[in-house]
Amino acid sequence: MSSEEQKLLINVIEQFAKSELESVSLKIEKEGLPRPLVRRLAELGLLAATVPPSEGGSGIDVRSFSLILYTIAKYSPSVAYYIYVQNTLVNEVLHQTGRSDLIPTVASGEITGTMVHDINMNSQHNVKVEGTKLQGENEYVVLPSATYHIVLARSSERSLLVLAKPSRVERKKPLGLRALEFGVSFYDSEVARENVLIQEKAEEALARHLDSSSIQVGAIALGIAESAIDKAIEYSKQRRAFESYLYEFQPIAAVLSDMKSRIGHMKDALTASEGGEGTVMFKLHALEIARLASRIALQVHGGYGYLEDVGIERLYRDSMFLTLLTSNYLRDMKAASTNLISKDAFRI
Amino acid sequence: MSFELPEEVEQTRKKAREFALREFTDDLIRHYDETEEYPNEIRKKVFEAGFITLENPWNMLVTMEEFCRVDPGLGLSSLASVFGAEMVLLYGTDEQKEKYMYPTLRGEKISAVAVTEPGAGSDVAGISSRLDKTERGWILNGHKMFITNGTVADHYYLLARSSLPPKDKRHHGLTLVIVERRWKGVNPVKLKGKLGMRATDTAEITFENVEIPVENTLGEEGKGFYIVMTFFNISRVYVAAQSVGTAQGILDALMDYLSRKPQSFREMESVQFALAEMSTMVEAARNLTYKAASKVFAFNPDPVLTSMAKYYAADVANFVANEAFKIIGVEGLNTRVEKLYRDAKITEIWEGTNEIEKLVISRMLLRRLSEAK
Repeated sequence: MSSEEQKLLINVIEQFAKSELESVSLKIEKEGLPRPLVRRLAELGLLAATVPPSEGGSGIDVRSFSLILYTIAKYSPSVAYYIYVQNTLVNEVLHQTGRSDLIPTVASGEITGTMVHDINMNSQHNVKVEGTKLQGENEYVVLPSATYHIVLARSSERSLLVLAKPSRVERKKPLGLRALEFGVSFYDSEVARENVLIQEKAEEALARHLDSSSIQVGAIALGIAESAIDKAIEYSKQRRAFESYLYEFQPIAAVLSDMKSRIGHMKDALTASEGGEGTVMFKLHALEIARLASRIALQVHGGYGYLEDVGIERLYRDSMFLTLLTSNYLRDMKAASTNLISKDAFRI
Repeated sequence: MSFELPEEVEQTRKKAREFALREFTDDLIRHYDETEEYPNEIRKKVFEAGFITLENPWNMLVTMEEFCRVDPGLGLSSLASVFGAEMVLLYGTDEQKEKYMYPTLRGEKISAVAVTEPGAGSDVAGISSRLDKTERGWILNGHKMFITNGTVADHYYLLARSSLPPKDKRHHGLTLVIVERRWKGVNPVKLKGKLGMRATDTAEITFENVEIPVENTLGEEGKGFYIVMTFFNISRVYVAAQSVGTAQGILDALMDYLSRKPQSFREMESVQFALAEMSTMVEAARNLTYKAASKVFAFNPDPVLTSMAKYYAADVANFVANEAFKIIGVEGLNTRVEKLYRDAKITEIWEGTNEIEKLVISRMLLRRLSEAK
């Protein structure tokens, strides 16, 4: 995609987000994603954005897709994460594992998919497979009521990626991204041969896929950070204390301009990035900036920021929840250190 | 020089810890967090157990710490039911003590401090609620915001402007009055949907032509600002204790998590460094809080120390919440860290934001510098 085309695309997304997301973004946090909105995301081609058109996708390049996620996250981090799950964790995986036949139903928004893996890559929380029987549970599933679950399962010798349906779901109130359902999925079913997406070493393949999509997570985090700081700047121009506007006070102006500038540099890096492996540090930096920016924004808003209806506290929750869903500090730091320093780095 | 607290206070700490672990059950914590109800039954039990007393403030301080270590929402709601009592103790008449303070200390009534307004949070002198003099006392008109205990309190200790201030003396002309919630013209509305501390009652209150008898003037007319600042010197050490307790609660959850992890995980130096940094900061915040409290409780408050303790402990609570989540990861969602992370944030905002505390520290230090010259 040329830079002109990219600019046009992002303009369309910005218009969509401004006119159709901004006004409902707090409402959907309480009520969940409405079907018409999901259909609209499908119409825009966002649910299989990076899948080739020949397979039912939109064929958008990774760089442009990251900018789309960033743009949407500024208005609704939940919607941005929903797109990330459908596109990157479901449709891309279906495409890469030869099940493109399922992509059109997910791309059209008719059916929702989700990815079920243990984020900490911790064998204690496995879903297990013995022979053809899939059993177990996962406590941290976004969209547990989705029709298609792409599940990382382990046996004593290998790890597999299978397509399954949960036998039961328990919903929980999530810390953040509350427009999306969250909870526990239980599995107890036979797995048909055609539903085995990866037969062995699925854990490694999935880790590579997650690492290579780090830039997309970073894009969502950056959108949260930008939204938080923009709201804080706007508020600092309206709110007065000690007979002056907040932005006139040195410490407030300094911290806001420092954050705005840091986010700007990160956005430049995002615009230039091709994605892929090696972008784990970008994700960690962006997540950290999102957490810091939302904490600062809440602080600038004072007591008002602590209330749901103002829309600041949710960014504070969303930034931490996104961190927990998409990163394991020790694993990510090991990946980054071995990539940047040496294979023995981060060993002790 | 000893860093040990007296045996009596340590016994209270032990009792408070046992009480909180027994009474603040996971189910109750979840219930009050989800429903945002005021935990009146817990408050009554806290009174019955004898934790609320002004006789030895150290007992209240360590109780605050231990209660918040288990759950800040339930801990603060129950202990803050006597909020503002110190102002009556120090500046109130005998009649005011009989009518308003003692009933709160007996658990029969609940009090609240009404200072913050929609347009004046940190800027206390900027408040615009108005007291107009009448033959029998005052007429109050105004609007208060974020008032803890606002819809459950029987009475408020309320600051309003009673006369126009001289130029550049905005803190002059403010008067404290005691206003009963059930009086005509008082309209409290509960604020729901808070990030954390959802068991605490928080309200927006409007006052329309509320008649206040002259005997309900608390302290000297026009000197309300100074009384409130004296009170903040006391209340801020309790908020510092709230922060220390919250931070310690997060550390407890982290230690519990580490105890369940394999030895190899505990041996990772990244984990060990994080644990060392967090526990050092919590201990430093605790010591600073106790030092500030020792001055306040000896009737020799040092606003610099108080503000240092309040600011630093709040900062530490939020730092520790972030770092612990980083180590525990997504599994932290099933631990108390999730709620403590949400509860911790308010400590940087209420009872003087971190920014205000920093200004108090610096301005007092600079004033001492110029006085020394």
